[in-house]
Amino acid sequence: MTDAQGKGAVLPVSKDPGDAILEFLRLAVAKELADAVILPMKVPSGDSFAWILMNDVSLFEGAVPIAAAMPVQGAKALRSLTRKGPGNLTVIAVMRPCEIRAAIELEKLGQVHTDNLILATYDCPGAIPLQKYVDDPGGSEEHFSLMRRSGKPDNTAKPVCHYCENFSMFDSDLHFGYFGFSEKEVLVIPGSDKGSELLKGLDLDLAKDLSDWKKGIDSLKAEREEARKSAFEETGEQLRGFSGMQSVFASCIGCHNCQSACPICYCRLCYFDSETAQQDPDALITAAAKRGGVSLPEDRIMFHVGRMTHMSLSCVSCGQCTDACPVSIPVAGVFSYVADRTQRTFEYEAGRNDGDPLPLRQFRKSELPGIHELVKNAESEEPSHE
Amino acid sequence: MSSIIIDTSASRGVTGLLKFLLESGKIDAALTMRNDPENNTYDFGLITDASNLDEAVPLIPVMTVNAGQVLSSISISRKKIAAVLKPCELRAFVELVKREKGSLENLLTISYTCGGVFPLDTVITGQIKELLPKYRKTILNGEIPVNTRDTCRACEHFIPMNADITVSVIGECEPGVGCVMHLNTERAVEFTEGFGGERSDRKFDPSTLKKTLDARLAEKEKLFASVTKDGPGLDRLLDTFGKCVGCHGCSSVCPICYCLLCDFESANFDYNLPYFEEHLSRKGALRLPPDTIFFHLGRLTHMSFSCVGCGMCSDVCPVDIPVAAMFKKTGEKTAALFDYLPGRDVEESIPVMVYKEEEFPDIG
Repeated sequence: MTDAQGKGAVLPVSKDPGDAILEFLRLAVAKELADAVILPMKVPSGDSFAWILMNDVSLFEGAVPIAAAMPVQGAKALRSLTRKGPGNLTVIAVMRPCEIRAAIELEKLGQVHTDNLILATYDCPGAIPLQKYVDDPGGSEEHFSLMRRSGKPDNTAKPVCHYCENFSMFDSDLHFGYFGFSEKEVLVIPGSDKGSELLKGLDLDLAKDLSDWKKGIDSLKAEREEARKSAFEETGEQLRGFSGMQSVFASCIGCHNCQSACPICYCRLCYFDSETAQQDPDALITAAAKRGGVSLPEDRIMFHVGRMTHMSLSCVSCGQCTDACPVSIPVAGVFSYVADRTQRTFEYEAGRNDGDPLPLRQFRKSELPGIHELVKNAESEEPSHE
Repeated sequence: MSSIIIDTSASRGVTGLLKFLLESGKIDAALTMRNDPENNTYDFGLITDASNLDEAVPLIPVMTVNAGQVLSSISISRKKIAAVLKPCELRAFVELVKREKGSLENLLTISYTCGGVFPLDTVITGQIKELLPKYRKTILNGEIPVNTRDTCRACEHFIPMNADITVSVIGECEPGVGCVMHLNTERAVEFTEGFGGERSDRKFDPSTLKKTLDARLAEKEKLFASVTKDGPGLDRLLDTFGKCVGCHGCSSVCPICYCLLCDFESANFDYNLPYFEEHLSRKGALRLPPDTIFFHLGRLTHMSFSCVGCGMCSDVCPVDIPVAAMFKKTGEKTAALFDYLPGRDVEESIPVMVYKEEEFPDIG
């Protein structure tokens, strides 16, 4: 973060913060400071949004920068655009903080190239679950606009949003802050050299002191931390022991939708969908005979544990997995709970752009001393071969 | 062929048969749906020990996974398996066998006249408990139960095609008071030898189910009209599939879509920046990720001949696109062009695998 000077530029608001952001983007493209933008736009049926890459300024009007729902995680849109390299287009993407954080994780995994992207975030009040939005777009919009004004997710918001602490500026190039200004103005805060340069190019002075805005954000953050504590306590209780895990995932049908909606799970062919994971049918029946029977499709819980092992260090708790689950399993609640612990274990926070490599890519001579202790104890309990 | 009449409910009759088959060593395992009352969920059990059949609910009108998909990997085994399948699951499995993704060789297939299944949502919300008692009465009257999957309501193929054993669930007997099993094959006769019940030479008579058939056909007409009510064209496709989030859940639960890696998820559909630049300069805007509609059209091209209209795709769609109705309608039309009916006969080749010197002269 380079808002060290603690100042931001001010954009006037005519209708809502989204309009101010659109006007800002129009100027940036008109002044050729960017070639194109990526924004959500309503789909033709009006009950959802899609990511649109656009350079035709006349089309911007139909865009909704701060959309009530998150049908496709933004990092996936950025991945489809830059997976094969950064290209020559300078593109501004306006997304939720969890989407930009996922994009930063994907960059560490070589799936996104941000060289020519300007990543912009905004104060996020939370998102409405996709199914709810599709069922009732009008009602959802009403709820969302109240959430936007208060900065607080209401009971219609996704469960994980209630306890998300990273709802405001994170490691983005640019941040639009508007919580606490009654939607009368939007602050533009640079978060990197790229962001600063863009503001300079638009002749926007960093005239406004940020301390009031920050105070507001901090108090919202404190509320969410409280919510987080109680949510995690509850999840921890539910997950106790294998039977806990089994009962949370009991209705899983093995469709792997959680994985395909996940921005971090980028593998084309998940190990659990591969031939390697398919058990030989004779062996399966032999295994079934040992227990009197097996549940099919096999390894439905193993899949979730495996996915957790693979991606929880990069999980940004965006909640897309829960949205995509056809049998309403609170996947995100579980994954967020586990990610909180795995990331703290490695003193890592997913979505940070501070040069820290992914924990599994880093060799430390000494780490997790507790584990050595465990191994030592186990060794001493082994029978001696002497 | 003959039949067996047992003085018990159809469900208990089938469970009893599975028990007999396991205990007498005629099969190594039985595939049936089970209920976990503690968590209020259903799953498929591959059961080897007859004492574990207590949780079996072989005829429950719920489809968590299309059994054709489940059987695909386990049927290629030397072990003998008896499987209880819904008619569309058996049809899907037959389509997979044609693609060498399964084998009927060591399988005893037990299917039944199907009243349709309830969407997964009704299981999750527990609503199914209230729906079930009424369901049985409704199907007995030859009517369509409320709240079942839209493609089930419009399904005319509710009588199993080429099952070894057909159990009467709609028609023939009051539910709960009698079980009639029709033995359609030599294999069925051989496997049921020594199993109790009264033997009869009663034949399965589809004409008794005419009321159900008429109701389903009327429902199908309505359903098919609803998916194209706004007319043809790309714009209409956009109206329907525009909110697709690209999760491809429809393809992963589709029993026919057996590819481990769908082409649309492969590197073939990764684009270089110039692709996006070209689209931008031509149209000024482009959706990310691209190919939303293309995916559905591609999938239709690949599998619609074999679509059995099971409705799994609609059930898992997170944005409630009527995928199954669209695919069933398209599938029926494409299959009809080739006088093909998926699941009818394992010897019948998939239309794209057949070479005819002369076909579709109009196209030329």
